[in-house]
Amino acid sequence: MDERQKAVADKIIDYLSETLRLPKENIDYDIPLFGDGIGLDSVDSLEIIAGMNLLFGVTLIGVNDGVFANIRTLSEYIVNSPDYEEKS
Amino acid sequence: MDRIVITGLGLVCAIGGSADECFDNAVAGKVGIKEVSSVEHSKCYAHIGAEYPEFVTPEGEDRATALCVKAAEEAVADSGIDVKKDADRVGVMIGSCVGGAVSIEKFYRDYVADPDKAKAEDVLKMPISAIANNVALRFGARGVVDNVANACAAGTMSIAMAADIIRSGKADVMIAGGSDPMSSLAYSGFHALHALDDEPCRPFNKSKGIALGEGAGILIVESYEHAMARGAKIYCEVLGSGVSSDAHHITAPAPDGEGMQAAMERSLENSGISASDVDYINAHGTGTPLNDSSELGAMLRVFGSSGKACASSTKSMVGHCLGAAGSVEAVFCVKAIERGVVPPTVGYTDEDVVAMRDKAGDFDFVPNKGKKKDVTYVQSNNYAFGGNNASIIYAKEDAPRSLREATADRVFVTGIGVVSPLGNTVGGYVEAVRAGSAPNVCEKCGDAVSAVGSEDFASVGIKLNFYRKLDKLSQMTCVSGKYALADAGITVDDGNARKIGIVAGTSDGPQTDIANFQKGIIANGTQSGSAFLFPNTVYNAAPGYLSICAGLKGYNVTYANGAASGLAAVAYSARVLRTTQNDVILAVGADEDSETVHMLYDKIGALSGGMKLSDGAVTLALEKESSASARGAKKYAEVLGSGFAHCDVEFGKYGCSGQLKRAIDLALDDAGVKAGDIGLVMTCSNGLASLSEAENEALAPFASAEKVNVRDVCGEGRAASSALAAAHASLMLAGEIGSTKAKYALVLGASSGGSYNAVVLGRADR
Repeated sequence: MDERQKAVADKIIDYLSETLRLPKENIDYDIPLFGDGIGLDSVDSLEIIAGMNLLFGVTLIGVNDGVFANIRTLSEYIVNSPDYEEKS
Repeated sequence: MDRIVITGLGLVCAIGGSADECFDNAVAGKVGIKEVSSVEHSKCYAHIGAEYPEFVTPEGEDRATALCVKAAEEAVADSGIDVKKDADRVGVMIGSCVGGAVSIEKFYRDYVADPDKAKAEDVLKMPISAIANNVALRFGARGVVDNVANACAAGTMSIAMAADIIRSGKADVMIAGGSDPMSSLAYSGFHALHALDDEPCRPFNKSKGIALGEGAGILIVESYEHAMARGAKIYCEVLGSGVSSDAHHITAPAPDGEGMQAAMERSLENSGISASDVDYINAHGTGTPLNDSSELGAMLRVFGSSGKACASSTKSMVGHCLGAAGSVEAVFCVKAIERGVVPPTVGYTDEDVVAMRDKAGDFDFVPNKGKKKDVTYVQSNNYAFGGNNASIIYAKEDAPRSLREATADRVFVTGIGVVSPLGNTVGGYVEAVRAGSAPNVCEKCGDAVSAVGSEDFASVGIKLNFYRKLDKLSQMTCVSGKYALADAGITVDDGNARKIGIVAGTSDGPQTDIANFQKGIIANGTQSGSAFLFPNTVYNAAPGYLSICAGLKGYNVTYANGAASGLAAVAYSARVLRTTQNDVILAVGADEDSETVHMLYDKIGALSGGMKLSDGAVTLALEKESSASARGAKKYAEVLGSGFAHCDVEFGKYGCSGQLKRAIDLALDDAGVKAGDIGLVMTCSNGLASLSEAENEALAPFASAEKVNVRDVCGEGRAASSALAAAHASLMLAGEIGSTKAKYALVLGASSGGSYNAVVLGRADR
């Protein structure tokens, strides 16, 4: 990951930790978000979609499931999205 | 006493301001769903709802109360009842989901702008607890006063509960129903869950979600004898009801619809009628694909697809009125019986009707226009967040029935679960009391507070993925409930899951996550509500989570009426065990403390008035003697009787020592125990002078009894404290704490707003 993507990934971790009440020590860039990893569910995914829009201006409705695989894939999609805007 | 009738109706919802106007419009298929005016929705994907803007909330009042009082005024006038004439025998039971959500928004808008400007008077309009108290004050009712807080099933449960309170002999008349306003909280929450339809909902048909509504429905529920004696007009009778839990998901119904089916079957069974007797079903029919498919499956399994019974979802016209839904629909059911006309489900094209045959055979959804039909029996069904299902039967006067009779089962405390500032588990609590330990204190606020940690979750087998979603109220409730089951030695399996239920009491519900959710909307707009937080904003989320993590599929009702709610849960549970299919009920009292809750109690002057705020969750596993004996359970104490009385004061105040005394006398009478035989009194004063005065007067006959107040050490944890008082008394009677010689204990509860209750416990081995 380049610095730009890493900054986004760390922001996502902060967001998940605060909004979905996930202890930070349980999250790294590669742990699967759904299924056997952290085990997020459909309500959590709604929250991630809303959060990515709020934080980065990126819409995730209708994107490929693979984007949600882990923090690395999610941050990669976001920095490469034409809608991506760095908000303070 | 078992015959319960409806003698008055009141209704306000999107299609009218009276029961007759609403029903006429419903039969004509009038849709009240249009662009929402009271909630900012410009950036939402849906813009419609079913409001009643013709009713303007009077200045200084909360909309939930105002709607409720309007409907109650119509119902009381319609029934011709003179409430004040026999005020002690008239009670109030109101269902609500979001309660004072309009005032909650106002308070936090003010608070975010400037904490000092947010008003104490708005704090008193926020909790669901306020609504029934305000209705009681308006009419001068002084009997059993309470609120049912089971989200979208509350309106049906409140009527079932009102009928049962009369059957138990504790009232002659109940003003019962439900009320909920349109609110940014609910709109934003259902929007976040993608559960709103952007077009008017068409339940069971092509609907993509709900249309949020608002309104209040009130029914005067009365004993047949009382109604006859005063020559009242009788609309119909209330027969049995059924309540169940899915134990599946906090917001979504179980796809198999088994819980819904169990509630429907229990209401039929408890009424002594069969499915083939039912003429009309007022379905929950929210319009979400998940609800509609689960519900349709359950209805087809119970009623078949022959077309004898017809069903409609009146939500297609009045929207989903949440905690008011069951009561709004109850009025439609009663009117259908009276007039011989059933209301329709609207939004069906001719092609839809044909297409529905593939799904539902000849099942008649009464498309678009009401139709004439002689209606003898109606079933009304509602399902809620938390996986709570409720069903009730209304019937024509004198229609044959065979009501399930209350049993004479004795009820024992067979397990205790504690989450308290003195420690967790009953063993930990007892040890701390014996050692005279000091409570855990929050450094920042100075309150005595409970704590649940990873070791608690681990010891009751609750995983991170489950408990991370829970607010503190829910975490404490789940841990305390599971500790009680473990202490009782009960293992939940497929064989007993449907026979173990929950009756929860809370004063303030999940005020912390309500505040978090509302502040999010204020900061980011209605379109940005948190899907994660929204499920936690309903008062029945905590017992809903408990039912899920413990696998409990029996009864599940949550009451909210101030600090005495934890003790009320104990009293109600005993009755539930004698009148339903449940063998064990977990009676839970829970309330949380937090920066938000501390601030709210500070605002209203309770802390400066001497209240030491705290929190916790305490569960008493109550069990039928037959079940307890069969498994050789240990018995801490027996629940012998209860009494309720209300003082019609402003919400936020106490008063009338005479009414606390009345609650005590009723409890003693119910238990068949004399005042002189009470050796232990668990008192309820909490540092506020007006309550201490009322209590001192009422305690005069118990001068020689030992007095214990759990709040002296643990602070005022509201519903947690009143349940802890019952648990502490049980432990004393069992000889686990102290060495009392008392055979009987009297436990007192008092709620701000004027509701008092008392429970008599006896030694199990006396």
